[in-house]
Amino acid sequence: MAIPLDYVARETASNLWRNRVMALAGIAIVAVSLALVGTALVLRQSVARQIVALGDNVNVQIFVQASASGGELSAIRMLIHQTPQIKSCGYLDHQQSYQRMRSLFADEPTVAGVLTPATTPPVFECDLINPNDAPVVKSVFVGVPGVFSVSYPQAAVRSWQRLANIAQTICLVMAIVLLVCSLVLILNAIRMAIFSRRREIGVMKLVGATNWFIRVPFMLEGLVQGLLGSMVAVLFVLLANLGVHSLLGSSGMTSQVQPGSSTLLSPSNLPAGQLFTTEAIILVIGLIVGVAGSSVAVRRFLDV
Amino acid sequence: MIRFEDVTKTYKGSSITALRDVNVDIERGEFVFLVGSSGSGKTTLLKLLLREELADSGSIWVAGRDIGKLSKWRVPELRRNLGCVFQDFRLLPNKTVTENVAFALEVIGRPKNQIRAQVPQVLDLVGLGQKGERFPDELSGGEQQRVAVARAFVNRPLVLLADEPTGNLDPATSIGIMKLLDRINRTGTTVVMATHDVGIVDAMRRRVIELDRGHVVRDQARGVYGYGDDLPSSSRGVPAVAIGSSWSGEDSGEESLSAGRVAAVRARRGAR
Ligand SMILES: Nc1ncnc2c1ncn2[C@@H]1O[C@H](COP(=O)(O)OP(=O)(O)OP(=O)(O)O)[C@@H](O)[C@H]1O
Ligand SMILES: [Mg+2]
Repeated sequence: MAIPLDYVARETASNLWRNRVMALAGIAIVAVSLALVGTALVLRQSVARQIVALGDNVNVQIFVQASASGGELSAIRMLIHQTPQIKSCGYLDHQQSYQRMRSLFADEPTVAGVLTPATTPPVFECDLINPNDAPVVKSVFVGVPGVFSVSYPQAAVRSWQRLANIAQTICLVMAIVLLVCSLVLILNAIRMAIFSRRREIGVMKLVGATNWFIRVPFMLEGLVQGLLGSMVAVLFVLLANLGVHSLLGSSGMTSQVQPGSSTLLSPSNLPAGQLFTTEAIILVIGLIVGVAGSSVAVRRFLDV
Repeated sequence: MIRFEDVTKTYKGSSITALRDVNVDIERGEFVFLVGSSGSGKTTLLKLLLREELADSGSIWVAGRDIGKLSKWRVPELRRNLGCVFQDFRLLPNKTVTENVAFALEVIGRPKNQIRAQVPQVLDLVGLGQKGERFPDELSGGEQQRVAVARAFVNRPLVLLADEPTGNLDPATSIGIMKLLDRINRTGTTVVMATHDVGIVDAMRRRVIELDRGHVVRDQARGVYGYGDDLPSSSRGVPAVAIGSSWSGEDSGEESLSAGRVAAVRARRGAR
């Protein structure tokens, strides 16, 4: 049997209004916990993205001065061959290095605009037998004529990843705790709504309303709470994502970014696709929490 | 219309058998009083009909269906065929008279135009056509009970169940309600009413089923509240037909006559 929409909308709205303090508490906790979920997801995705950008088998980058002579370049090549810790090396000339930088800074047009092929240093990207030897390799090449700088970005990325992992775990644990709290809050809000409507429910049962007819407004009340909470969280993630970007831009941090490690440490905003996925996940979790809370309440307290 | 076959009911956690081996057969269109002292099982019988409770043994038939075998999701369907009125009215205080009656149709998914058509009709029937916009607390007890009857009847149920519908009302008001139930009965609706109201039962002379500690101890067509105790023979001698017709009388003269009669029976009972 079809349940008239206007009836359901009216009942749900009036339930929410009657218990507005409880409903608001539920919505707020859903929002906070989902904002944490969103933060964890964003952290995870931005780390994953930077690892991909760099490639997994580049342990040490040796940047050559843009003005280095051919002799200096072959001396560096020689030294690479003589260094036992290095397994293999790839060489990116001016043009290739320039292309790489442009793609790395694709999100930051100010940086990309400053670069030219001539000013971009060529780079040797070396794979080490043991990635932990990176500092030793660095000490070998620092000061060699023609070498501009040596960095081992992966190590930096790894340590940042560890940090991000910890932050992520903390966010997720807190989010789960808060999600459980919000579930209980929503459950309680629905329980109170059921209690305050026990007369109506009694009459409905008596005149032969179906179980679904009685239940749906309460289920919807939980769903609306979950939805409103998750919408706040979606907005938070959206603004935070924009905020991080514009903050970096205005502080001039991006212009100080050096080639190498520090580019990888700068948090960047997510591309639209990933942002959309994150927001969708937040919405779905919010809806699930709302529906789960109200289902349990309806099952336990609405004995039809 | 309604049949109880060897129905026994004991509530969980209770040592008293609320109903024991009850056999009752009620035809379509009958008007039946359920009488018996407090705790004799009247309300239990009505609850079994509504399937608010399940019988321990025996079977209960309503409109040709064994309601004990009804799956849970078909119970609402059963209840749509049974209108219900209680001593305490059970109106929704935050809804007007019209809204209270409309609610009963709304929550079983009736279309709006049907609701708009039927609600004023039934309010006219119960004599509250002019008071649709009032709230229950702006009505007298009798008027509130009329609203409850309207709500129970608006969906045209096959059976109207009433549990002490006049229990909270004064004699004159009770008569008004009984006239209403009588009128509803005349439309072909079966009425089953549990009551302690001696005056009403004795004056209306309809079928009386008496329960005592869960047993049916009497089932009498055109019965009175109690057996040949000290009721003056003159009162018992009143031809049932005459009183019955006075109930359907619409003019005020007959109304006051029957009111006087009920009051007289009440007074005799009270003096006993
Ligand atoms: N929910 C319940 N749980 C346990 N026992 C109950 C319950 N309801 C009724 N009873 C018992 O069942 C018996 C019959 O009760 P019932 O309510 O049917 O009586 P009644 O005839 O309606 O009485 P009254 O005239 O006072 O309304 C009583 O002994 C009562 O104590
Ligand atoms: Mg009772």
